[in-house]
Amino acid sequence: MILTRVLIRDTSGDGPDRTREFYGSFLNYLVENKLDDVVQPVRAADVGIYDQGMVLRILPQDILYVRVDEDDIPKIVSRLADDKPPLKKLLGRGKILQQRVVLKNCGVIDPERIEDYIGVDGYQALGRVLTGMEPAAVIEELKTSRLRGRGGGGYPTWKKWQFSLEVEDEEKYVICNGDEGDPGAYMDRSVLEGDPHSVLEGMIIAGYTVGAGRGYVYIRAEYPLAISRIQKAIDQAYEHGLLGSDILGSGFDFDLEIRLGAGAFVCGEETALIASVEGKRGYPRPRPPYPAVKGLWGKPTVINNVETLANIPRIILRGGEWFSGIGRQITSQSSRGTKVFALTGKIRNSGLIEVPMGTTLHEIVYEIGGGIPHGKRLKAVQTGGPSGGVISADFINIPVGYERLQKLGSIMGSGGMIVMDQDDCMVDIAKFYLRFCVDESCGKCAPCRIGGTQMLAVLSRITEGEGLPEDLEKLRLISHAMQKASLCGLGQTAPNPVLSTLNYFEDEYREHIENKHCPAGSCVRLFSYSIDQDKCKRCGLCIRHCPVHCISGDREQGFHIHSDQCIRCGQCFAECKFDAINRN
Amino acid sequence: MNLDELKKIRERERRRGKNWIRVGYSTCGIAAGADEVFEVMQRELEKRGLDVELKKVGCAGMCYAEPLVEINVEGVPRVFYGKVDGAKAAKIIEKHVAGKILLNDHIYEIPSGREGG
Repeated sequence: MILTRVLIRDTSGDGPDRTREFYGSFLNYLVENKLDDVVQPVRAADVGIYDQGMVLRILPQDILYVRVDEDDIPKIVSRLADDKPPLKKLLGRGKILQQRVVLKNCGVIDPERIEDYIGVDGYQALGRVLTGMEPAAVIEELKTSRLRGRGGGGYPTWKKWQFSLEVEDEEKYVICNGDEGDPGAYMDRSVLEGDPHSVLEGMIIAGYTVGAGRGYVYIRAEYPLAISRIQKAIDQAYEHGLLGSDILGSGFDFDLEIRLGAGAFVCGEETALIASVEGKRGYPRPRPPYPAVKGLWGKPTVINNVETLANIPRIILRGGEWFSGIGRQITSQSSRGTKVFALTGKIRNSGLIEVPMGTTLHEIVYEIGGGIPHGKRLKAVQTGGPSGGVISADFINIPVGYERLQKLGSIMGSGGMIVMDQDDCMVDIAKFYLRFCVDESCGKCAPCRIGGTQMLAVLSRITEGEGLPEDLEKLRLISHAMQKASLCGLGQTAPNPVLSTLNYFEDEYREHIENKHCPAGSCVRLFSYSIDQDKCKRCGLCIRHCPVHCISGDREQGFHIHSDQCIRCGQCFAECKFDAINRN
Repeated sequence: MNLDELKKIRERERRRGKNWIRVGYSTCGIAAGADEVFEVMQRELEKRGLDVELKKVGCAGMCYAEPLVEINVEGVPRVFYGKVDGAKAAKIIEKHVAGKILLNDHIYEIPSGREGG
């Protein structure tokens, strides 16, 4: 019977993968010593550790060895067989950087079975609140926890609830903002799909605390699975008496239904979202009055993001002290708890991560994300989507927190985190995000509608080699006007990607304008391909791969690229084995 | 329902089987082919008469390795298998669940920071 398993993985990253070779030697040694019926070596696909040479993880003892040589095999095996303490010299430190609070049930419970949720303490927090906590006590607990809005704004959650509680009105509402729209962000979708009841429980607690009798879950229509799972969860909660009248025998009534967003980015802004729930066009309106005081149908409305609401039951059950204790002390005391990020872009392990506040960008990119693939160099990290900005690789060691990211010209945002490498042109990135905002601008106010379009025209001409020396100043001027004069968050923050790239990568902008050159080799109008006849071996690989047939010639005469027909796709450049294609 | 009934459900749920397989069934998993993995596993478990609870769960976070399957059966350490397809799913039931042998090249053992591992 097998007692011990040894997971083997070569984590070097450069050079050939030696996992298979090492596995062979390990297995041979076991067979020679007749130990292969008690120890099983296993080739792992990923052990969660990178750039530490040959890594061995021994289960079930959970011993981690790093930088292991083949010569070490006898010593390692002898320690295993005799149950002796592990070899100190090779021991690695298995750092656990993530912490699952919001995502604790995602991937664990069946989201379509309410019993699964109840089995992991689901609705216990609601029970505690309804049977023994005054609204003021709930708010006090949230205040202690120092939970802030996870949708991007970062406003203290207890304050929103407090404002709503203080307004005397028979009719109040709770809204869950599930209109996640940042490119590359899908934190809320995963929570809605993987743990829908936690969001409902957070909403019912909010309803009880502020004195609301009805709530709406606002989800974008592009999330059909999230919608169906939330609907199932609502139905099950009604069946079990966790929604409707006299919840858990407490006398508290609360009803909940879904409202679908029809795909406008601006509807993620709370006043536009409220207009949309009312059946009107998704236009924002100036604040104050804030929705907490005057929201849906003019009534006090608590509006919280999905991730914020999913945190509520955990805070009630484990206490505000526990929550405010999560996060590293180096961050400002106002960023506590964890944050979920959707890690995407030029990163080895893209996916959903949850880290305590104060975790550094370096740890996220290199230790959790596994670093940049293909040996490329990190250039920047984009956070906060179109309202955020890029952070240059020079600041990779900063801890994640609301204020720290803001100081660097970006924002925490809802949790999109896009990693960029040397091949990403920063002017082009700014253009991408700005175009998104221009497309999504509702057009109600002039600074956003006109400013965005004008900036986009400037950025477009820079990437096409038509930039003017005064363009940078112009971009800054329009940006500041938009920030100051736009009506809602969309327009106020739309210039952020432009300003932050301009701040860290002004040289790159200047290179485009002055030398008509894109250092990242990404702006297609700024370079052309040609064939270096001295290096060319006339193999014809380029002509076969050109999708637009703009290469002519034959093996006798040599080949030529016709620049006027070339679409700069880079196929020939990538395929040539002899570096004979020039890009300039 | 009242608080006592809620607690009763919780206790009942906690006593459920200790042998289980979780298949990632969020948008990421389904897009990568979780449907086929689930069906194959269900068929193979039935065919062999194995008493293992097969569950559809949400996203565990490792979207790059979907379809993702987490397995906990007696006598074998709990592990994640990533990039599973129909053929791999059948092999996992045969080797891992029935034979108590870990499979090569598909284990994703990443510390997720989840309580209890």
